[in-house]
Amino acid sequence: MLTGINKIGDLEWEVPIGYVPDMRVPGRFFLSRTLAETLEEGAVRQLANVATLPGIVKHSLAMPDIHWGYGFPIGGVAAFDMTEGVISPGGVGFDINCGVRLITTPLTEADLARRKRELIERLFDAVPTGVGAKSALRVSNKDLSAVMVDGARWAVERGLGTEADLVRCEGEGAMPGADPDAVSAKARQRGVPQLGTLGAGNHFLEVQVAKEIVDPEAAKTFGIAEGQVCFMVHCGSRGLGHQVATDHLRTLEGAVAKYGIRLPDRQLACAPLDSPEGRAYYGGMVCAANYAWANRQVIMHEARKVFAHLFGIDYDEMQLIYDVAHNVAKFERHDVDGVSTEVCVHRKGATRAFGPGAEGVPSEYAAIGQPVIIPGSMGTSSYLLHGTTAAMQKTWGSTCHGAGRVLSRSKAKKEVRGKELRERLAGEGIVVRAHSDTALAEEAPAVYKPSQEVVRVVHEAGLSHIVARLEPLGVIKG
Amino acid sequence: MSFDELEHTADVLMRVRGATLNELFAEAGRAMFSVMYGPCEERGVERRIEIEAENLESLLIDYLSELLFVTEVENTVFCTFDVDLRGTRLSAVLRGEPFDPARHSAGTVVKGISYFGLEIVKEEEGYVVEIIFDI
Repeated sequence: MLTGINKIGDLEWEVPIGYVPDMRVPGRFFLSRTLAETLEEGAVRQLANVATLPGIVKHSLAMPDIHWGYGFPIGGVAAFDMTEGVISPGGVGFDINCGVRLITTPLTEADLARRKRELIERLFDAVPTGVGAKSALRVSNKDLSAVMVDGARWAVERGLGTEADLVRCEGEGAMPGADPDAVSAKARQRGVPQLGTLGAGNHFLEVQVAKEIVDPEAAKTFGIAEGQVCFMVHCGSRGLGHQVATDHLRTLEGAVAKYGIRLPDRQLACAPLDSPEGRAYYGGMVCAANYAWANRQVIMHEARKVFAHLFGIDYDEMQLIYDVAHNVAKFERHDVDGVSTEVCVHRKGATRAFGPGAEGVPSEYAAIGQPVIIPGSMGTSSYLLHGTTAAMQKTWGSTCHGAGRVLSRSKAKKEVRGKELRERLAGEGIVVRAHSDTALAEEAPAVYKPSQEVVRVVHEAGLSHIVARLEPLGVIKG
Repeated sequence: MSFDELEHTADVLMRVRGATLNELFAEAGRAMFSVMYGPCEERGVERRIEIEAENLESLLIDYLSELLFVTEVENTVFCTFDVDLRGTRLSAVLRGEPFDPARHSAGTVVKGISYFGLEIVKEEEGYVVEIIFDI
């Protein structure tokens, strides 16, 4: 383990004030000894850097999938005071509202048996993936403004989903406060042709089977049963979100000097929440977040059509369990020293995990807490969990977002051959479809921490509890 | 003039070298396009861009961000970058080919250019910079 860090619980560690100069609060992160072996010093330093930002409340936090990013570490969570605090694109990332949704089907693994490859090929045809992917949707500039304000509702109102889908999205598939004027013409140009596209990198659409139900009561409430075929969509706000982040980082760079903020890392550029620059970033970020919810809604719709057509099932038999964002900043009410207080929570590679009864959890899930969806890496388990009261108390209602990488892209390409990987996965019954084998190698399971260990830590730390384990059957990637 | 990929677990970290600043900027463009598309040939596409910034580092970020924008909205892949720097003002002629999914799908989307650790350093034999591309 790195020096200068204190163990304060079985799975909890503290980065004391002074680890880097000017820290206002201590850092805290959650990690098992096994995961601690791969912890990078750079990630801890980034966690400590976040603690220097004005108005940070209580702690700079990181989830067990913490790793070295830029600005905030990946897995980083921090809340800021609404008056004294700041908002920072470095606490959200370039892929605003990258997120995950999980959908059940009435099918079992046996139903897919001989048609799995055909299903994956049809999904690959129906959902544009990879670099340069363009949507079949015709979206006007005016439509785009509506998408940025209404999010998933925009798609549902055009028949690309149902009202029930909206209830089962974080924030009902849209955040308030969108400011389309804070989205540049360039961002719009990138957004228009990409609505309903998956993108590349670690984004995917995966067909899975619920292999193990760990919490039967919660599983029943969420509508998932053992042996049920599901599918998962992982993607974000595409070029529109990337451009919004790029544009506002630039503006906020100037704001840092204007507001006399001292930063240890330029990527932490920020502005007071209550400043023109801070408000503009928030309004633009909300537009991108809403675009991402619409994007995942459109992709789900296309996938539902493929399943319905191929297996003769009804569209409505495929129920969305939930949709979660894992790169976003939100205004939320939390308990701060016994007082319910509004704060701006940044989650960068972290998932909201609101517990039972928390405001914002759909009423049908209120007794259990919100569903939390943790995608595994390609070929490994994904998990459905639920949020907890402990998360509300310790992490601003947050948990991990994925496995977290341990191997660089360059090493992955040296050590893993895409073709061999595809064939090995096929041997395990997992059909993989991508534009190129090279891209596959970069996302091989071996480049990630084991997802079960990350999930075990959040479960044992009480930040969310496992409901079901899902195993992959087939995946399409960019 | 060269670029090398260094170890970085989450993103792509490139060390880029150039004998002159013009070369450094050209090579940074090549490095980014190699991440996104793999091999590329000049096939008649030509584009000019002009950018101005308050310092060299910001200019490099703005230049690379502009390349990301252009490649995406114009469906073009660039292989050569003739860069002409005058202080913190840049004009560049980009040459390449139309995006072809059959030949350009070996890479990945670059989401943005990170400011983290980005510093252009003057060495005896030229300039060097390390850039993190968010993928």
